[in-house]
Formats: sequence, structure tokens, C-alpha cells
Amino acid sequence: MNIKFLIGLLFFAAPAFAQADHQWILQQSSLTYHVSHPLHQSEGVSHEARGKGVCHQGQCDFLIAVPVKSFDSGDSNRDLHMVQAVRGAQFPLVTVRTRLPEDAGSSATVHADLEIQFAGQTAEYKQVPLQLAKDGDNFRITGTVPATLSDFKIDPPSLLTFPVKNEIPVRVEMTWHAEK
Amino acid sequence: MIRPNPAILILCALFAIASASLSFAQTNDSTEVSTFENADQPQETAQTQTPPPNNSQAPSLEDLGLSPSQTQSDPQLQARLDKRAHMLKIHQRLGLITAIPMIASVATGFGAGGKSTSTSDRWAHLALGSVTGDLYFTTAYFAIFAPRIPGTQTRGPIRVHKALAWIHGPGMILTPILGAIAFDQKSKGEKVHGIASAHGAVAIVTAGAFGAALLSVSLKF
Repeated sequence: MNIKFLIGLLFFAAPAFAQADHQWILQQSSLTYHVSHPLHQSEGVSHEARGKGVCHQGQCDFLIAVPVKSFDSGDSNRDLHMVQAVRGAQFPLVTVRTRLPEDAGSSATVHADLEIQFAGQTAEYKQVPLQLAKDGDNFRITGTVPATLSDFKIDPPSLLTFPVKNEIPVRVEMTWHAEK
Repeated sequence: MIRPNPAILILCALFAIASASLSFAQTNDSTEVSTFENADQPQETAQTQTPPPNNSQAPSLEDLGLSPSQTQSDPQLQARLDKRAHMLKIHQRLGLITAIPMIASVATGFGAGGKSTSTSDRWAHLALGSVTGDLYFTTAYFAIFAPRIPGTQTRGPIRVHKALAWIHGPGMILTPILGAIAFDQKSKGEKVHGIASAHGAVAIVTAGAFGAALLSVSLKF
């Protein structure tokens, strides 16, 4: 066997082993759920999401977590009721996992498969369209997750005996920062 | 004697370094997986966590720097929230039911105090007023004794709802007392006089505050 070839191969292969993974850190976020009721249209916002993305071999794994009780609708009574209805004390986090190709940032829209854990249940949302906008080392991602209460086996809360609608779309606005 | 070839020596050294770094990476990976499992451990009894994607590179909850208070399951708090929600649901339903005899009491009240009122009108008004009072205080019980959640600051329309209780609460104590005096005076054939003459006005203010309290949590403003 050609020794020089082997040495050369090792020298070229070594950097590939040692290469630091490309990472993304969630810098800013705004997650807004929308609830419809015959008498009310309510929104709850959280800015407390934490997120990290790790890229390896052309694929990036993202994890985003947000405390359930960090959502603020401007009404403490409604917020407490929401935490109760979604079993937020027992399951205090909403987590979102997704995997995207590393070059996804080159297009304006990416379709992501999201795995969401919420209220002790896991739901998958396939091909959720997310808009991407690059700003230097940052990426701004916006989109809406078409979540429903039944996806997570949540009994619809009611007001004056009227239950809220099953659809609770969650508007996502996130700014990710690249770390190398 | 065998002379070592420098190229083979370099090659061996490189393999040794590569295998060492690979085994180190594997150790890190296994540590990461076990710490992920440990991080989920407290929630495991309560929360059915699906495993992360089958990729040791995937970030874990520990990587996100969340505090234990944000990640720990609290079944006691959940039980407290459930009890609170259950009691407030009853409070809400009874409040709606109370509004029916209350409206009827106000409506019959206009015919109960006039000059040409009959005994049956007064008795009907008295009965409706009594039902309203009983339902009202039962409704209030479920709000007053619903568990409080520590660390919660009252915000939003619920503040108006609670503030209005300071009007309709005393009103619901005063109205029956004044009504009883007025009933007594009327039964004796007297014209309603003195403090009892405020019965109607107090009742209307009380019913108005009660209605406003109901609307304050029903309509967005």
C-alpha cells in the first residue's frame, strides 16, 4: 500500500473529524398563540423561548423550549386558566424539535417538519412553511404553526359555557445567531 | 535487526491520535445522552417525553440553560390549579344562573312597592329575592374559597370584576335587610319610609354592579 497516500488521506481526513460543529443560538423570539371564542379573540405572547441549533454533516438539529407559564395574554385569570387547561404545572415546557438542511438558509421559505411536545403529548406538523430573512450573522424566521387543542388532547376551555375553538395557531418570530 | 520506517511511525502516531480523539468524542456523546436522560428524569413519571432525534449531535434541554424551576414538573401546583379552575367554573355557572332570579326580582320589585300592590306581588318579590340571595352567596363562596396561586399578580379585566364585588357584595347584604324592613312596613299597611325607602335604589345599584361584573369577564374591552 502506498504509505504516502495513507498519510495524505489521514491529513485530509483529520480536519473533517476535528471540525467544530456549526451552531445557532436563539437570540430573540416572540411566540404568540391565538384563541377564538364567540365573545373573545385572545392572544398570549411569550418572549422567553430558548433555542439551539447544531449543524453536522449538512444537517442542523434545532431544539426550542418555552415555559408554558411565560405566555402573557394581559389577563392573569386567563393565563392561570390556560396553564391549568394545558397541564402546564405538570408539563412546564413546550419543546419543538426540527431538522433542517444546512443550506436551507439560501431560500426565502423553508418547509420544516416540527415535532412539538406540549401538555404531555407529542404532535408532528409536517412541512410547516417558515419564512427566512438573512441579516448578517443572524437569521430571522417567521411562520405560523397550525396547532390545535385536539392535537395535544386538551379539553377546550369554556367561557360562559361556550368552548373556545379547536384551532390555536401559534405565530412564531425568531432571530437566530450563527456561532462558529 | 528491523529498522523502523519513519513513515510507518508517523502513520501509527496519527492513528493513535485519531482513535483517541474518536473514543473521547464517544465518551462525550454517551455523557450527553445520559445527562439528557437525567434531565428528563424528574418529568418522566409525569411527562411522556419522546426521545430526541437519533442523533447525538442534537441539542438537549440542558444545552438551553433553563433553570430547574422552569423545567421541573409540579403535580401539587397542577392539583391546585385544577381545584381552582373547578371552583371558578362553578362560580361562573352559578353567577349566570343567579342573574335570572336577580333580573326577575328587579322586575317584580317595581310592582311590589307601589300603592296598589297586592300581597302576592310582595311575596313573589320576596321569594325571588331570597332565591337570588342564596344563589349569590353560594356563587361568592366558590370565588372566595378558590385556591390562590402564589406569585400571581392580578392583571386585566379580572381586576374590574373583583373591584365590582366591593359594590355588589355589600349591596347583596344591604338589599335584603332593607327589603325585610320595607316588607314589614308594607304588611302593616304603612307607606315604606325611613331607611327602607332606599331598598329599590340599593337593589338597582347592586344588580347593575353584578351585571357589570359579569360582562367585565365576558366581553373584551
